Amino acid sequence: MVRPSTESLAFDALSDGVRRQILAILSDHGECTVSEITERIDSVGRTTVSSHLRVLRTSGVVQERKVGRYRYVRLDADGSVREALDFLQRIMTQAADELSASAVTAEPQESFEETLAVG
Amino acid sequence: MNSATVTLSSEADVNLTPAEAFGRFGRRDDAGWMFRARCHRVAPGYAVAIDLPGGCDAQVLGRLRVVLPGREIVIEHDQPWRGQLRIKFERTGMAQTRVRFRAQVPSEGIEWLARHRGASLPTPAPTGARRVGLLTSKSGSGAVYSMAAEYMAQLAVEQANASGGVDHRPVELLIADDATDHLQARRETVRLIEAGCQAIFACVTSASFGAAAAAAEAYDVLMVHPVINEGGMEAKRVIRFGERPEAQMGTLSRIVERETGGNRWFLVGQRYSWSFGAHRAAAKILDASGSRVVAQRFTSLGTREFAPIIDSIRASGADVVMSSLVGADEVAFQQQAYEAGLRDLASRVSLVMDECTLEHVGPAAGNGIWTALNYFQSVSNPGNTELLQAYREHFGPWAPPLSSLSTNMYEAIRQYLELAALHPDAAPSQLAADWRTRKSDRDSVGQRNMATQRLYLARAEEDVIRVLDEVVA
Repeated sequence: MVRPSTESLAFDALSDGVRRQILAILSDHGECTVSEITERIDSVGRTTVSSHLRVLRTSGVVQERKVGRYRYVRLDADGSVREALDFLQRIMTQAADELSASAVTAEPQESFEETLAVG
Repeated sequence: MNSATVTLSSEADVNLTPAEAFGRFGRRDDAGWMFRARCHRVAPGYAVAIDLPGGCDAQVLGRLRVVLPGREIVIEHDQPWRGQLRIKFERTGMAQTRVRFRAQVPSEGIEWLARHRGASLPTPAPTGARRVGLLTSKSGSGAVYSMAAEYMAQLAVEQANASGGVDHRPVELLIADDATDHLQARRETVRLIEAGCQAIFACVTSASFGAAAAAAEAYDVLMVHPVINEGGMEAKRVIRFGERPEAQMGTLSRIVERETGGNRWFLVGQRYSWSFGAHRAAAKILDASGSRVVAQRFTSLGTREFAPIIDSIRASGADVVMSSLVGADEVAFQQQAYEAGLRDLASRVSLVMDECTLEHVGPAAGNGIWTALNYFQSVSNPGNTELLQAYREHFGPWAPPLSSLSTNMYEAIRQYLELAALHPDAAPSQLAADWRTRKSDRDSVGQRNMATQRLYLARAEEDVIRVLDEVVA
């Protein structure tokens, strides 16, 4: 039985090229409006950029604020830290899963009886 | 190191006895777990490498600290951050075990991971300290040989601060990871400069250093590459020390030809400036001594599969194999060459077989490899015992061994800070000029003249590197 992992959308937020491009723009230029971000990305249009921004915002990687008609977007350092912690937790859970799978698929090896040493 | 630490945990219930679950740790077949953790022996003190999953291109590199068969394994690791991983085995039935994983991750580890995954974290606010940067490889191929360099940089800065800092100001070390990638090196160099670093010390490949130096050209910053390199790239604000392949090969070719009679050399390296320079130097020296290069192969940095190259070596009829591969690539090559029985066919020479790399190559595969570097832990220079003692007192018995790369880093930062203390307002180019012409015939580790090509001829014997001779080129 494996303890349920801390599921996080952030785990996958950076797996997409457009999202990484958005983060690079925010890293280089600081806070930008959605229009400014869209102008700097040739490969997709405004609607697609907006949907990628929604993924990044949901996962806590970026933050948004509204001023009048404009939406300003910036990197969220706290979100990045959360994302990193979620990633590590996922790795820990994966290690437990891997051992469970190993126990099912492989023949047991000889036992160790002797205590080697303690540091 | 003062930092907050978080503890992460997970657990699994498996249908194995504790001894069976334990016995699968470190196995290389499908039964292996912990992401195919690799170690030469599951016993305290042995080096361990674990590939981080999730497309990280990073390894957890450290040592086994506690090994209680069937009960507990504790790993102290230094890369990509300094932390601890504890695995406990608890019997819950006849053939059932609960395995608990617990990882202690300091804030530096979280920060590294966030940056590594593309996040842009804020620059540390100015503290009034004189800032120096360390560009090192905490991930990618170079993480293996860079392990102790970060610690030795910290030690040099701590010692300078204990002596009053520079111009009554403390010195602050900022650390950046190039991920053994030249584009990342360029970005991180600019980040360090914008954070206010006046000098940047690099324990990275020549490819990364070249990119870093180019990025720094527009700024008034001193760039120092104090570790083994092929030479070149020097400029008013760019200094390179460290061993050079001409001197290494001059020494190594003589001893190998004399001791083994081998004179047909096969050269293996990576497709970038270091190996290109090293192989040019080797070919020239071997040609002058009557030996010859029968073939050479270059491979991409980050290669882990060497079977085609090993086949080429077999087919070439070479009786000496010289490798200029570095880090995890060199570890993989030497292990695969050993498993393929190459040791029985040819003598092996490695230009970057430092103590950290040898630890991961392992005693069996490493045994008999010739090398020549300007420092080994066993040298008898004055000051070495004290330095080793200070290192262990600061970083503990499980920290990676010292090596030429980490000791060169220590000496470079220490000597720079001494010069900066004498001339606190000097421009980087002036400090560089003073450093190049600095007169020192002192033999004491930390004070050695870095511009002098001093080498120790050495050979790996099981898990130690034995110094055979000292050579001043």
